[in-house]
Amino acid sequence: MMTKWRLLDTGSLPAAANMALDKVILNARSAGLVPNTVRYLQFSPHCVLVGYHQAVELEVEEEYCRRHGIDINRRITGGGNLYWDESQLGWELYASKDTPGIPRRLEDMYRLMCESVVAGLARLGVKAKFRPANDIEVEGRKISGTGGTELGDAFLYQGTLLTDFDVDTMINALKLPIKKLEDKQIDSFRQRVVCLKEVLGYLPPMAEIKAALAEGISEVLGITLEPGGLAQAEKDALECELPIFESEAWIRGQRVLPQANDLKNAELKTPGGLIRASVRVDQGRQCIKSAFITGDFFVYPERGILDLEAVLKNSSSLPAEVLNTVQGFFEQNRVSIPGVTADDFGQVINLALEQDR
Amino acid sequence: MSCKYYDIPADLLYDANDFWVKLSGDEAVIGMSDFGQDNIGDVLYLELLGRGASCQKGDKLGSIESGKWVGNLVAPLSGMIIDCNPGVEKNPRQINADAYGEGWMLKLHISNLNEIKDLMNAVQYRDWVAEQAAREEMIG
Repeated sequence: MMTKWRLLDTGSLPAAANMALDKVILNARSAGLVPNTVRYLQFSPHCVLVGYHQAVELEVEEEYCRRHGIDINRRITGGGNLYWDESQLGWELYASKDTPGIPRRLEDMYRLMCESVVAGLARLGVKAKFRPANDIEVEGRKISGTGGTELGDAFLYQGTLLTDFDVDTMINALKLPIKKLEDKQIDSFRQRVVCLKEVLGYLPPMAEIKAALAEGISEVLGITLEPGGLAQAEKDALECELPIFESEAWIRGQRVLPQANDLKNAELKTPGGLIRASVRVDQGRQCIKSAFITGDFFVYPERGILDLEAVLKNSSSLPAEVLNTVQGFFEQNRVSIPGVTADDFGQVINLALEQDR
Repeated sequence: MSCKYYDIPADLLYDANDFWVKLSGDEAVIGMSDFGQDNIGDVLYLELLGRGASCQKGDKLGSIESGKWVGNLVAPLSGMIIDCNPGVEKNPRQINADAYGEGWMLKLHISNLNEIKDLMNAVQYRDWVAEQAAREEMIG
C-alpha cells in the first residue's frame, strides 16, 4: 500500500506568511503533528527573498522594491537572492528523515526530490533533467532552483518553478553584478534561465501545472497525495510566528560580515576566440559565488559553458584550485571548444580573481 | 559509499549527528566527522553560538550552510561554550579540508559527564556509518 502524504495548496500569500509557514510546517512535521506534506505556494505581492545567511543590504535594491511594492523577506533555507513574481509556483516537500525510500545522504536526496519534479514536468511535455548539485534544467537552462533545511527529525526541500518570468524586474530588484555588463552579455545571462511559457510556447493553467507536478512527485516517491488543509496546531503556530517573520529583526538578521559584492572581469585572447569571464567572489571564504563566461568561441555541446559555470559556483577561489576545478570539468565532460584549452578557462578566471587579491 | 573511505580516528567519540568529540577532563573539543563533512559538502557559512552560551544536549549550537542546504548543529553534550574556533568561522571550508584538525568548531565545558556514555566509540561509529551506507544502497 502506498504511503499517504498531505497535499497542501496555500495559494497566494505575502512573503512573511509563506516564510513563516515554512518554519511552522517543518516544526509540525518534526513534532509528528502532521504527515509528510507537499505544499504549493505562490506570492502576492511579488517579493524578493534572500537566503538564510545573506544580508539584505548586499543583495536587494531596496529603494526599487519600495517603489514597486515588492516585499522583502528572508528564507529559512540557504542559497542566493531570488525574485518571485506573482506567476511563479513554489513547490515544497516536508518529510521525516526516516521516510522509507528517501536517502539521508544529501546529494542523493537532492537528486530524488528534483527527479520527482522532473517527472511532473514531463507530464507537461517538458524534457527537464536534474543538474547537480541542485538545479532542474531544460537543455542547460535553469527552470527550477532548489534548496532545503532540516529541523530535528524532519527536512524541508523546496524549489521554484519558472512559469512566465519577468527578467527585467528581477534584474532591477536584485543587486546583481550583471548590471555592469554590456547589453550583449546581459542577453547571454537571460539565456541561462528558461520558463515554462518559453519552453512550451504557451502557459498551461496553474491547476494543470500543479496536477502534473503532483503526479510526478507521487510516482517517483511512491506515495499517494491527499488534499488537505493546515492543522489547527499549524494555524496557531502561524499566528505566533507571523509577527516574527514580519519583523525587521528577522528580515535584516544579518549574520554575515559585509563583503564586496563587485563583479570582477577579465578577458583572454586565444586561438579559438576571445573569452570573457565575470566572477563574483566571497573573499573571506575564498570561494567563487558565481561565474559567468561568454565570448566568441564555438562550444559543442552549447550547454558546455553553462555546465562549467555550475561547477565553478561555490568552488574554491584559490588559483591552483580554480585550475583543478576547470581541468576536472573538462576531463569529466565531453566538451569541445576548438582553439581553446581548459587552461585558458582557468587562466581567465584567475585573471578576474586577481583583481581582488 | 563504503565507510572504509572515511577517516574515523580511534581516540575520538562520535554521535549520530556526525560530530566528533575529543575529551580532556570535563572539557570537550567538538567538530564534524569526515563522513559528516563529506555528506554536507563544501561548507560556505558557519554560524556558532558565542562563547559563554549554555546548551543542553540536543540544543541548536549553530547553523551550517553548504550549497543551498542549511543544517542545524546539534549539541552532542550539555555544557557551556568556552571557546569557538575563529579560523573556522572565517573560513568554514576548513571543516572540509581538515575535519579533525583546523576544522574544529568549539570547546565545551561539560555540565553532565553522564552523557558521555551515550556517545559512540570509533568502532561503533564505523558500524553506524556502514549502516547508513547500506541503507542508501538499498534505496539505490
